[in-house]
Amino acid sequence: MSRHGYRYSAGSLIRHGLTRGEWPRMWSKPERRSTYDVVIVGGGLHGLATAYYLAKNHGMTNVAVVDKGYLGAGGSGRNTAIVRSNYLTPEGVAFYDRSLHLYNNMATDLNLNVMLSKRGHLTLAHTDSALRTMNWRAEVNKLLDIDSSVIGPKEVKRLTPSLDVSPDTRYPILGALYHPPGGIVRHDAVVWGYARAAAYLGVHLLQGTEVLDITCTGGDGPQGKGPGGRVTGIHTSRGDINSPVVVNCTAGWASLISNMAGIPLAITTHPLQAAVTEPCKVFLPTVVVSGSLHVYVSQTDRGELVFGASVDPVGTYRLNGTLEFTEELAGHVLELMPGISKMRLMRQWSGLCDMTPDYSPIMGFTPVEGYFVDVGWGTYGFKAGPVAGETMAETIANGCTAELIAPFSIDRFTDGDLVGEKGAAAVGH
Amino acid sequence: MSSHRILSRPGELIDRSTRLSFTWNGRPYTGYKGDTIASALAAEGVGVFSRGLKYHRRRGILTADHWDPNLAVQVGDEPNVRAGSRRLVEGMQVTAQNVWPCLRFDIGTATRLVGRFLSAGFYYKTFMRPRFLWNHVYQRVLRKFAPGGQVHWQTKSHDNYDKRYAHPDVLVAGGGPAGIAAALAAAKAGASVMLVEQEPELGGHLRWGGPDDLSVLDGLLEAVQSCSGIEILCDSVVTGRYDHNWVAIMQRSHPVALERLIKARVGSLVVAPGLIERPYVFAGNDTPGVMLSGAVKRLINLWAVSPGHRAVVFSANLEGDAVLADLESAGVEVVAVLDARAGDDVVRVKGKGRVKTILTGDGQTLEADLLVTAVGWTSPTSLLNMAGDRPVYDQVAARYFPQSLPDNVLATGGITGDGSITELVAHGRETGTLAASRAMRIRHDRMSATARSPKPSFDRPAAVSDERVPLRRVPHPECYQSSTHGLVDFSEDISSKDLIQAAAEGFDSIELMKRYTTVTMGPSQGKLETVNAAAVLAEARQTAIVDVGTTVWRPPFAPVSLGALAGQSFEPTRRSAIQNWHEANGATNMLAGQWVRPDHYGNPMAEVANVRNNVGLIDVTPLGKLDLRGPDVSRLLDLVYVNKWQNLEIGRVRYGVMVAEDGVVSDDGVTGRLAEEHYLMTTTSSGAGAVWEMLEDWLQTYRPEWEVHVTPVTGGLTSINVAGPRSRELLKRLVDDVDLSATAFPYFSVRKGSVAGVQDCIIWRIGFTGELSYEIHAHSGYALHIWEALLGAGSDLGVAPFGVEAQRILRLEKGHYIVGQDTDGLSKAPTASLGGLVKLDKLDTIGLPELRAAFQRSDLPVLVGLQTEDPSIVPEEACQIVSSDGNEILGRITSSRMSPTLGRSVCLAQVYSSLAAAGTLLTVKLVDGRRVKATVQEQHAHVDPEGERQRV
Amino acid sequence: MIVVPCPSCGPRNSSDLRNAGEVVPRPDPDTATLTEWRSYLYLRENPASWVTETWYCRNGCRRYFTIERNTATNEIRESDTT
Repeated sequence: MSRHGYRYSAGSLIRHGLTRGEWPRMWSKPERRSTYDVVIVGGGLHGLATAYYLAKNHGMTNVAVVDKGYLGAGGSGRNTAIVRSNYLTPEGVAFYDRSLHLYNNMATDLNLNVMLSKRGHLTLAHTDSALRTMNWRAEVNKLLDIDSSVIGPKEVKRLTPSLDVSPDTRYPILGALYHPPGGIVRHDAVVWGYARAAAYLGVHLLQGTEVLDITCTGGDGPQGKGPGGRVTGIHTSRGDINSPVVVNCTAGWASLISNMAGIPLAITTHPLQAAVTEPCKVFLPTVVVSGSLHVYVSQTDRGELVFGASVDPVGTYRLNGTLEFTEELAGHVLELMPGISKMRLMRQWSGLCDMTPDYSPIMGFTPVEGYFVDVGWGTYGFKAGPVAGETMAETIANGCTAELIAPFSIDRFTDGDLVGEKGAAAVGH
Repeated sequence: MSSHRILSRPGELIDRSTRLSFTWNGRPYTGYKGDTIASALAAEGVGVFSRGLKYHRRRGILTADHWDPNLAVQVGDEPNVRAGSRRLVEGMQVTAQNVWPCLRFDIGTATRLVGRFLSAGFYYKTFMRPRFLWNHVYQRVLRKFAPGGQVHWQTKSHDNYDKRYAHPDVLVAGGGPAGIAAALAAAKAGASVMLVEQEPELGGHLRWGGPDDLSVLDGLLEAVQSCSGIEILCDSVVTGRYDHNWVAIMQRSHPVALERLIKARVGSLVVAPGLIERPYVFAGNDTPGVMLSGAVKRLINLWAVSPGHRAVVFSANLEGDAVLADLESAGVEVVAVLDARAGDDVVRVKGKGRVKTILTGDGQTLEADLLVTAVGWTSPTSLLNMAGDRPVYDQVAARYFPQSLPDNVLATGGITGDGSITELVAHGRETGTLAASRAMRIRHDRMSATARSPKPSFDRPAAVSDERVPLRRVPHPECYQSSTHGLVDFSEDISSKDLIQAAAEGFDSIELMKRYTTVTMGPSQGKLETVNAAAVLAEARQTAIVDVGTTVWRPPFAPVSLGALAGQSFEPTRRSAIQNWHEANGATNMLAGQWVRPDHYGNPMAEVANVRNNVGLIDVTPLGKLDLRGPDVSRLLDLVYVNKWQNLEIGRVRYGVMVAEDGVVSDDGVTGRLAEEHYLMTTTSSGAGAVWEMLEDWLQTYRPEWEVHVTPVTGGLTSINVAGPRSRELLKRLVDDVDLSATAFPYFSVRKGSVAGVQDCIIWRIGFTGELSYEIHAHSGYALHIWEALLGAGSDLGVAPFGVEAQRILRLEKGHYIVGQDTDGLSKAPTASLGGLVKLDKLDTIGLPELRAAFQRSDLPVLVGLQTEDPSIVPEEACQIVSSDGNEILGRITSSRMSPTLGRSVCLAQVYSSLAAAGTLLTVKLVDGRRVKATVQEQHAHVDPEGERQRV
Repeated sequence: MIVVPCPSCGPRNSSDLRNAGEVVPRPDPDTATLTEWRSYLYLRENPASWVTETWYCRNGCRRYFTIERNTATNEIRESDTT
């Protein structure tokens, strides 16, 4: 037995293979308590990571994670699983670099192979202004010791032979921002790893429990909600839970939960769509992103190409997906790799993104005491999951804002000091 | 004749008079026209078509149709072709996929030796230490074994694909008896109808049925082919239904396009896909020779191929029983019939490349080379799911049924229930009539709601309630799994044992199980395996299937090529009226947004010198241009620009800056007053569209009482900048109705006149380059004439064209910033040093509160002119300005060039306001890591800061 | 591809139009406090239900108009404020 209960290893695999014995449950089904020290709304990567670090780093184990569906049902299981730290602003770089560090050590920390594949991440530039932004990012990255540089078309071709780098295309590849430590990871495994580790430390994972209201007292608004008040608990589809701390980790649904506490957010919800092709023999070694063409692509170890795009222009909570997304996606991918037209799209899906005006998250304290937010992740939530969990846990446990997340305070929308990530972020995967 | 082809069948699809040659793994084979790849190979005795994903076991025909998970092959440069449905073409080169070195001896089978250790999700549980082994060894091995065919990515262009829009009142997805009947009834009711069938022929299961089925089919075909209101699309599949009945159809076998995507706005969608037969789960169920009853019927009746020699039939339904007659007539010996309804069972199949023995539930061992299973159906409800339905499992009929559908989606045929052919046809007919009546209402409403549409020629049909007699649900045993474990997902090699283990580990909801084991996530996307997976999970959880639910079926219904989704490559560029001249005269192009324009004509440095010394011409057509007319234009300008516009005289131009409501600089340009109520506004090239839409928004939404008419004239007017000390002299030779003298036509003025005989040109004097310069806006039809006249008239003055690169150097020497390059997404007006321009005492201007707030602050970054200590060093744009002894970021170079005029490098930079004072010594970190010193300049302008050259 | 009813062009594919988002009343810029102004700039109700929003008939008549759309279902109905 280890910190995580049953220990996984090659040895355990062999033992089970030989004895054909049953594997134990990754997480138990707990009896719900009436009171917790902390209730985290949203059983995705952010909520589970926050719970895990509360328990592991701060010894807070009387914690519940509630989710209306199953673990990882939202964006955690719908993203394209790209990790990187080559952001534009120093605050963004510092934050995501810490996240990448946690990803690096995750398999051993959580005792689950999350299949991190640091295969290199290319952000293509098709115009001189895009190239200038790549240079900007590279120069900021280098100053912060991030492995990141701008390379020319020849080097792009060497790293990724299937890209058409000839100069006479409609979107010529003038160069790329190359980030060797960037890559992909198995997103579901990250969720399960945190869930398993948190549950072992005593955190209650309450699936199928929908939050219907947040109860507050003393606030300016109706029912004691709003600025100046404090949180007393939540009202769920399976009964009431008392807690002095409620953490909103609900991504695309963040506005709906936050409105329950009387705190409107600078967020609009937009779908982000993704798609996957049938498997083919592996030919694409890197993660390729084109901001101008609104597309990013990588090939899984199973041979499927996984595609993502920008968020849909029309805000909606609908997860149906659209045909035009697949049309634009295919058109743009074939601009980059005209030879793969005979690959077939096998499945498309959507996730919901909580978009903020400055493409940066909203984290930490709010004007309602005990109500914390970890929202506004837009299209970046997956990359940031581990560090968001770590810093949110620190903020909740210590009662003061963790340094790394200070720039992402909710106050910036009243102070007018937005974060400058927008320029690099239109499609920044 | 080959050994497996049998005598002619009444419904066979093959044309025995036309033989086609093809190769299979390099060896020559022949088949008939009408054969599928699989039927042709099976007829020649081929029994193994592929190998399993994980354990590399041999695989043969399972379903003999599009959904067959074992029949993915490579055809030429096309991977993952469905050999079960793709028709044979002369000369096809077909190879097996996912085998190495070849189909017969596959190294991958070695994984079977360790198979017992490769349980579901095994990879999550190991390879964690040491980390380098995961990075460098394990992962590479995994990638080497990725399944699927080869992509020929070296190809430089993609084939011919196309798209089409359609607007049928009724679209019927599925050309079986119910679908055909629905199409006929809808057409009869006056609706325009599209009938879409996945196979190359209509008919569905009638095609492989008995003589009665074939005669019904003949009648239906005759009716449908003679009906003028129905467009029939075969070899085509409805791949998706999206919001507001937007329906995607993938059409193959089009004369011009390899594949064509049809996008249809459909009044009523009728979903009639029939049923998909599901496999039985037991040990050895993936052995070649284990076939579903439908596969056997299709092989025998459609392609006259004998599926084996000695058969055992395991049947739970009448359709399974019916296979006996087919086997008999094909000369296949039936060894035994096992009746699931009577408690018979199949426990295990043994055999390496082919079924050899079959162990039955009562302990018998039967020798046979063919096991036919008929254990029930999966409803392919994808399109219904996409329409919001959550089909519900019916324990009695042992399959899922639709639950609730929106009015514009209807289902008919086997997906809704069971019945005789007559009953299915009747249900289809009623469905078609109902669909038509709803669709006609929609058409009527649409025509009435569209002002310019002709009025509908028919009365709005009354709303009709759904009074169709539902089809029966015939009881069917819940026959999913034997007492042994077998494959559930054939394309992913996932067994029932894997699923049970996953459930025990906590992945006991269907979605979590799917993600953990990848069941239903392979190329067949759940078509065959989804109900079996639910059944296994229900057993593991000891609950009913109805409580398990199913995963959400996502689009597309069948895989769609990227080529078809993309269609023809169509990414247009914009070109000015003079662009052909540029290209014929040595221009090197660049792409700037949508525009193609000359970057330079060979030597940008010389082009700069020529502008400074003589005169140059640049085509600046991409500059956004808006023609503004009306009595309230000046009020509009006052609102959208940060400066004041009320007092602009006729004949004058003024520079203006726009900010957004958050105070961030968004665009800039020059606007001139041409007449009392007539202005021409210019914007940045990239901002042209956005500024126009913004003006419209203000005029329509917030200030509807203002009278201003906005017309975009960016392409209609070609813009030529004539710049340099000799520009006046040059223009004088071609302009005779405007006094060009400095006093009559001063700096920042505008005149209308004739240039080279072209009337009504707008000429204004501005100075982006810092030289005396005139910008001519002329009707594009005459632009080339003017351009050539200018060049012709000024040869003695040294006139020459210059490109964007020279212009950038000239403007940087002059210290003019570019919005979006020298400013960014956070730059407010003080950053761009606009203190003198911004008027905060207006009652309204866009972003006014933020402008006021910004000028209260002293901590915003500031744009400064900067020069490196070493004049030969040009720091690349985006180089960071850092603390002299550390890596703290204090600013960045936003623009930099070598200045041919000064013979040294010049820069613009954004720095902290505390470092903006002239003379401040800064440290710039170059791309190569070197640190160099640079000094903040007095002005942004490096050349002629007083502006004497442009005012002459 | 949803269908958006333009008041002058009739029902059109949404790709012919641009969605300009939730309608938020604009405070008087001369008298609004910064807090009021920034709540206009940034805060949105973002409900999972009916929302009044602006569309621009970009490829058609170039008209701005408002409709109500249910963001949970994409149903559309006419807006009272048109």
